[in-house]
Amino acid sequence: MSGEVLENLRKAIIEYDSAGAASWARKAVQEKIDPIKALDTMTAAIKQVGDGFARGELWLPDLVGAADAMTSATPIIEEEIKRRGAKRESLGTVVIGTVYGDIHTIGKTMVATLLTADGFVVNDLGINVTAENFVEGVKRYRPDILAMSALMTMTAPEQKKVIATLKKEGLRDKVKIMVGGGAITQEFADSIGADGYDPTAPGAVKLARRLIGK
Amino acid sequence: MALKGFTRNFKPLETLTEEKVEAIHRGTLEVLWVTGVMVEHERALKLFEKNGCKVNYDEMRVRIPPALVEECICKAPSSFHAKARDCKNSLMVGNNTLYFGAAPGTQTVDLDTWKPRVATRKENYDSITVLDALPTVHFFSPYTPYFGFEGVPPCMAMLESLASRIRNSTKFQCVGFSNDSEIFAIKMAQAVGMEILGTCAWAPPLTVYRDAVESTFRFVEAGLPIRIISGQAMGATAPATIAGGIVINNAEVIAGLVLAQLIKPGTRVLVKDFSSPMNMSTGAPAFGSIEACLHNAASNQIFQKYGVPIDNATCYPNSKMPDYQCGYEKTSRVLIAGLSGANTLLLHGSVHGELTYHTIQAILDDDLAGMIGRFMEGITVNDETLAIDLIEEVGPIPGHFLNKEHTRKWWRLEQFVPKAADRLTYPEWMDTGKKSCLDYARERMEEILATNKPTPLTPSQEGDVERILEEARKYYEERGLISEEEMATYREGMKSPNYPYE
Repeated sequence: MSGEVLENLRKAIIEYDSAGAASWARKAVQEKIDPIKALDTMTAAIKQVGDGFARGELWLPDLVGAADAMTSATPIIEEEIKRRGAKRESLGTVVIGTVYGDIHTIGKTMVATLLTADGFVVNDLGINVTAENFVEGVKRYRPDILAMSALMTMTAPEQKKVIATLKKEGLRDKVKIMVGGGAITQEFADSIGADGYDPTAPGAVKLARRLIGK
Repeated sequence: MALKGFTRNFKPLETLTEEKVEAIHRGTLEVLWVTGVMVEHERALKLFEKNGCKVNYDEMRVRIPPALVEECICKAPSSFHAKARDCKNSLMVGNNTLYFGAAPGTQTVDLDTWKPRVATRKENYDSITVLDALPTVHFFSPYTPYFGFEGVPPCMAMLESLASRIRNSTKFQCVGFSNDSEIFAIKMAQAVGMEILGTCAWAPPLTVYRDAVESTFRFVEAGLPIRIISGQAMGATAPATIAGGIVINNAEVIAGLVLAQLIKPGTRVLVKDFSSPMNMSTGAPAFGSIEACLHNAASNQIFQKYGVPIDNATCYPNSKMPDYQCGYEKTSRVLIAGLSGANTLLLHGSVHGELTYHTIQAILDDDLAGMIGRFMEGITVNDETLAIDLIEEVGPIPGHFLNKEHTRKWWRLEQFVPKAADRLTYPEWMDTGKKSCLDYARERMEEILATNKPTPLTPSQEGDVERILEEARKYYEERGLISEEEMATYREGMKSPNYPYE
């Protein structure tokens, strides 16, 4: 039974079925299936889609479809992990978002999805995230990495503001910061004191591993 | 008399049947009434409500009745005059005329390493000097040639760009908006006695933010024409289908048109069709795609029916250099826009997407615009051009036409001669250093920079432009948008003996 539920959960993700993924996640909880095992199944599924994307066999609508299905199931499983007081092994924790004034979501979602597929626990704060909300996210999730996206020249300076706010709160040294987005260059990343920059989503995953020494 | 531009002397290309045009129009009306649009602006919401729209203030959602949409489309002029700094460069936008504008880039690009970098002040002004001389550049789009240049704080980029274009060219100018920049742009235009084409930019899908609406009020209330734009990516911010993309783009730009007509009936409006499919592997817009051309052609057909002038946005290539790909991407866009009835099109200078601009590319694009413009002019058919009597006079071999007065008169009128293309014979090409169009473009750039002296502003106009820039600097300084460090660098640059040109 456990095998069948997990197989259906896996299938829901690789078939981009958000409602199905949530429903099979609830079923897994009802059936008292080890939630860590359920989360591993989901991560393996998103990795399969991420690998297909990296090989050029799958495309952004596939990646985003699988990410949405994963997002709809994850809180259900995470709630169960918390309830049981279990601990999940992960490569590291990431808080990610698009900066204030910027509503571009695609690049940020690509990076978040590929990081999840690689085994990171990703907390996505969404778009138009203020410096204060980034700081709040860092306090709440205590991530290894804070990742920020900005697509527009006008919103790129907001990344600098987030770093300044983290410094003010004494949190800058507690987290590695990576930046990306159409408006960002290596020179800009260096100038604002970020720990890393990469122009592509797969490159961002390698960068994240490098930043935490894995 | 306004600048001539290029005239299309034949029926426009039609890619849609009448039934398809009607289906798209009905779909647009349904979206505007049933789904509606989000307008983040209290005053605009009240204006919509006063004119019969259903307004939900909590959601900032406006639902526009079909009758009001059609009434406002009728109020927008089908052609309009827009005054340039020099009247002979004014535009008469609409009908079967196509004007080309320069296209912007965020940065310049090194032609050897292909590495983009921020342009210098001198590169910005020199680029405008060249654009001023190119005959197929009829106007400048906002932040052309560069979004900004060295030493200028980001919030002043838009205004420094406008000032540089007004100083180095008498051609017509468009402006954007950012952090109230339009207040100073309007003052600058008024000081110089010219009009500018303002911008109302939507955020697809179906949303317009406060600053875009505020700038629309400012441009329209100043009696200026306005272009309404919504840059969609099909598959991301619009449906992946071209028909769905057209419907939603129509809904956005027409909602903007309605707002402009409600603020001031008869406002001169240029709608923009700036749509590309999304590149499904990178998430970037596939600017140079043939689907963007299909979107343009269909939208041109629809707006001809509406009787509202249309712009086909920017011929941005996906290629990174002026190569074969760049050539076919730009040619497809320009040719299809020209054949299907675009009224304006941004072309000159963009090397890759919105990222890079180069003068060499602008010179190559001058030839492309000239070629397509020549095609649009079509074939003159009359007794003289049919040349029946001449053919009778010359007869079969050994007769020929090279020594005829008819040839001397007509070949120049009939043939477009590109200035930077390689048209040599093979031996000539080998003997003259195997030059490519890039080499010829570079030579032409150097020649223009050495010879073109743009008409300067009068001392009093120059004083006004600099005074308005200074007003803007203080405005942004007071609002904390320019840091002390940025201002120090900015002021240092102003001490240059050749300020503002370098």
